[in-house]
Amino acid sequence: MSNGGANIDLLFRNGLKDFEVLPPSGIWAGILPAIRKKQRPYLFLRAAAIIVVIVSVSLLAYKWSSDITISLGSQELALDNIKAPASHGRAVTRIARTGPAKHLKVAAETAGNTLPFADAALNTSENQTGVAEGKATQGDHLVPDWLFNVRKSFEQGLILDKKTSASRPGSFKDLKELPYEQVKEKTGRWSVTALVSPTYYLRPGLDNSAISQQINSSEQSRISYSGGLSFAYRISRKLSIQSGLYYSSIGNEIDGISSFSGFRGYDYTKGDHNFEVLTSNGLVYTNNSDVFLTDRTGDRVRTIYTVDVFDPSKANLSYVDNTLYQNFSYLEMPIFLRYKLVDRAIDFNVIGGLSYNLLVSNTVNAHVSGNSYAVGKTAGLNPFMVTSSLGMGMEYNLSDKISLNLEPTFRYYLNPFSMIQGPRTHPYSFGIFSGISYKF
Amino acid sequence: MPEIINIIKGCLAGNRRDQELLYRRHASKLYGVCLQYSGNDEEARDILQEGFIKIFENLIHYKNEGSFEGWMRRIVVNTALEKFRSNHNLYRVDDIDNIPEPDADPENQDYAGLEAVDLLEIIRELPPKYRMVFNLFAIEGYSHKEISDMIGISEGTSKSNLSRARIILQKKVSIYTGLNKTVVNV
Repeated sequence: MSNGGANIDLLFRNGLKDFEVLPPSGIWAGILPAIRKKQRPYLFLRAAAIIVVIVSVSLLAYKWSSDITISLGSQELALDNIKAPASHGRAVTRIARTGPAKHLKVAAETAGNTLPFADAALNTSENQTGVAEGKATQGDHLVPDWLFNVRKSFEQGLILDKKTSASRPGSFKDLKELPYEQVKEKTGRWSVTALVSPTYYLRPGLDNSAISQQINSSEQSRISYSGGLSFAYRISRKLSIQSGLYYSSIGNEIDGISSFSGFRGYDYTKGDHNFEVLTSNGLVYTNNSDVFLTDRTGDRVRTIYTVDVFDPSKANLSYVDNTLYQNFSYLEMPIFLRYKLVDRAIDFNVIGGLSYNLLVSNTVNAHVSGNSYAVGKTAGLNPFMVTSSLGMGMEYNLSDKISLNLEPTFRYYLNPFSMIQGPRTHPYSFGIFSGISYKF
Repeated sequence: MPEIINIIKGCLAGNRRDQELLYRRHASKLYGVCLQYSGNDEEARDILQEGFIKIFENLIHYKNEGSFEGWMRRIVVNTALEKFRSNHNLYRVDDIDNIPEPDADPENQDYAGLEAVDLLEIIRELPPKYRMVFNLFAIEGYSHKEISDMIGISEGTSKSNLSRARIILQKKVSIYTGLNKTVVNV
């Protein structure tokens, strides 16, 4: 029996070795939501992680700029007629210049102000070189002891506690801040900025209907981008108004819609389109009579050419792709207000306002061998979109005129993409604009 | 055609196109396995669906060592095994003591003409316990010790189930071919 058993084993092992059966349709539709449900939290976690990183970097940058200001805040003090003690008659070795100009600039109002502890004339706004006699201080600036004490007094007196410094003998009660406009005389009120940003689009979930579930589980946004030039006018010390012209491109992937080419020979209808695909952004209409579409996982394709009527495999149509790509391009004109929260080495601004977006391009494609295959366009799109934006701008001044900008921005679309019947979504997006700014 | 390693990478990145491509490429073969381990089509569909969900969930643990198809097959077989365990109390082993020994000598029987679909039909008619033991031993190549651990039976029971499964299969094959041919040794 053992040999007979081995024979029967071999019979089944060999007979079923490469056995394949096409599974019934609909199984993939059951698998996809299960794996999507597990992936969805990762998307939110990723977005949350990005926000945490941005906030952390912002706080670190703020703290860093704050430290710099405290340690070097008095470097631009114009000190005249300061007499050094006799024992400290030699000048400082080296004082590094601060990067950007500070708004707080103090000068002796009255000529002839004499301070009790200094005699040598110092102007710390410029690099100076002298004989080495000093010690390393914060920021690795080598200064003599007496000057270190002078600076410490200045910091305590001017920055940390102005009121008490006024009562100290020989302090700076006669010093005052110059008006901001005088400080900013060198730079004008106008600036131009070139910005570009990758943008990630999200949309809230649709309702719980079967078709909405299919749409939810089969669509995903592609990384989009936005960029352009903006002009800003400084209204006051802290407030600016900003506008310009941006170009933004938005993409959406629709999975599970199989496209085939070569349908032209079988198309006997006179209509302007043979297929409609329901998406979260509206209805896709085919304008290429050569394309055949079928939804393998649901009921999103509307056509008279259902699989019961026409089988693309039997008709030997060429398979193109299983995904449709919606692409929209907009010309965008933002009108933003920018309020300066922190005015230091790195400026921090809150940016908010509205953008007006004009639809300039609308295509739907499939991809085959790296090439784009035109399918149609999305019908009923709102040609004029309004978005509200809120962002946090960080501006690092490279010089009096040039600065680097980083602006994490959140956007919400006030009107839906689609104007016609079907799912209506108000997407929102998150982007990090970076660029360079020039002040006139 | 994309390499399987690129498809796996795409799946891990959450690319739905690659996920569907992986499914479409391997579903037919794995569905054949599911049919082999199940008594009806509905059960086979469930095993395939649950199996693929596990494949996607565990894709990150695939070390790119050995056959990817083999790795997927093991997951599907384990899924069938879990389903078998959960339904264990529902299954009733038919009384097969009265099944007569096949007339023909199995060593000399001619199986020509049997197609894979015929073999599948025969194997699916086995009682679930016998089918499971026969599949694990004869098709997957597990030992009785391993099978006893997997199903939760003794080695003796595993051997007994296999023996009975073989007898039934032998008889069914004979009936199926309608031949009952005995090749006479000369």
